[in-house]
Amino acid sequence: MQDESLFSDLSKRGISRRDFLTFCSTMAATLGLQSTVVPQIAEALEKKQKPYVVWLEFQDCAGDSESILRSTKPTIAQLVLDVISLEYHETIMAPSGKNAEKSLADVVKNHKGKYIAIVEGSIPMKDGGVYCCIGGKTAIDMAKEVCGNALATIAVGSCASYGGIPAAAPNPTGAVSVKQAVPNATVINLPGCPVNCENLTATVVHYLTFGALPQCDKEGRPLFAYGKRIHDNCERRPHFDAGQFVRKWGDDGHRKGWCLYEMGCKGPQSYMNCPTIRWNEGTSWPVMAGHGCFGCGQPQNWDALGSIYSRLPNVPGAGYQTTADKIGLGVAAAAAAGVAVHAAVRASKCKAEEDKK
Amino acid sequence: MAKIAIDPLTRIEGHLRIEAQIEGGKVVDAWSSSTMWRGIELIVKNRDPREVWALLSRI
Ligand code: SF4
Repeated sequence: MQDESLFSDLSKRGISRRDFLTFCSTMAATLGLQSTVVPQIAEALEKKQKPYVVWLEFQDCAGDSESILRSTKPTIAQLVLDVISLEYHETIMAPSGKNAEKSLADVVKNHKGKYIAIVEGSIPMKDGGVYCCIGGKTAIDMAKEVCGNALATIAVGSCASYGGIPAAAPNPTGAVSVKQAVPNATVINLPGCPVNCENLTATVVHYLTFGALPQCDKEGRPLFAYGKRIHDNCERRPHFDAGQFVRKWGDDGHRKGWCLYEMGCKGPQSYMNCPTIRWNEGTSWPVMAGHGCFGCGQPQNWDALGSIYSRLPNVPGAGYQTTADKIGLGVAAAAAAGVAVHAAVRASKCKAEEDKK
Repeated sequence: MAKIAIDPLTRIEGHLRIEAQIEGGKVVDAWSSSTMWRGIELIVKNRDPREVWALLSRI
């Protein structure tokens, strides 16, 4: 298995050449690359050997694993994840106990510096790391050994990227991100709660094609997926600009798909490609479904951005709050004026009718 | 009389360790331990109750 390239595996699974090239184009688009790189991606996927991958779970809810397992489109993306031929993944692997540990130890020993480690979940540092142990080893010891000897580590989800929910105040277990736990490891962060499978796939494809991880921002997130602000790509943005806000769940504005800023949407402070690649096979994303963005891909979102239902305080540099307030007031005033005019018209009509009598 | 331990127990969600006491080919006693703790009960304390579903659904 391991010596075969990706495409030889895909053709065995009945994936046509056309499907394969469509997949390569989708990946190029997700990565924000020009279509001229499609042949390069195709060539890399056809010729390069499949990388060895181990998937570690620490303080996690397996949501990122679920995100990967549930993905059905593009089908090939799912296969790419097959193809990264997981040597170790607790939730889905057949061996248990000692045999499971052996699978992991073998990769670390035999492919030192050549395998990719994917980490899901945060790492507890408090009390000697006792709050997460696997096979009698603490998460911190495992991370040091496995991530420290990997070619690169991909932190999937916000817990592995920033500490996530376990690190939310008061952080009872001293939970930290992979990069904080193993500072000398090469780590790329793919935050999100959970990670979007397409971003993970694209990161792996980028690595296979160019032999390097994609360019990242200061939070260690790849720019192709986290370079743009949700608010700037949101389909409800025209309503924000027009001062049309949902003010109560189920109100008229909510039914009409107006902006969710007043309901706590964190889109103005969040960077991710949810509005463009969406979720569940590109079906929808939270704002499209009618709920504000949590800012799940932002560091320490559970504490830094306030309750998911409280309106963001001043959005730095843009003064959105005052704008929204003023516009909101303006609309209310216009509506009040409308009511008044209507009342006046009615009053005068009634008067006229009375006069007639 | 032997004692066996299976850790990690795979194909489940979460981390689990099972120990069993074996006598004459039969399990006579067994212990299970969850080997991971985050303290989510403590994390949701004093938070806006409306957002607690979002944290607790990520157990
Ligand atoms: S505040 Fe939220 S719903 Fe409104 S435009 Fe921005 S991202 Fe979209």
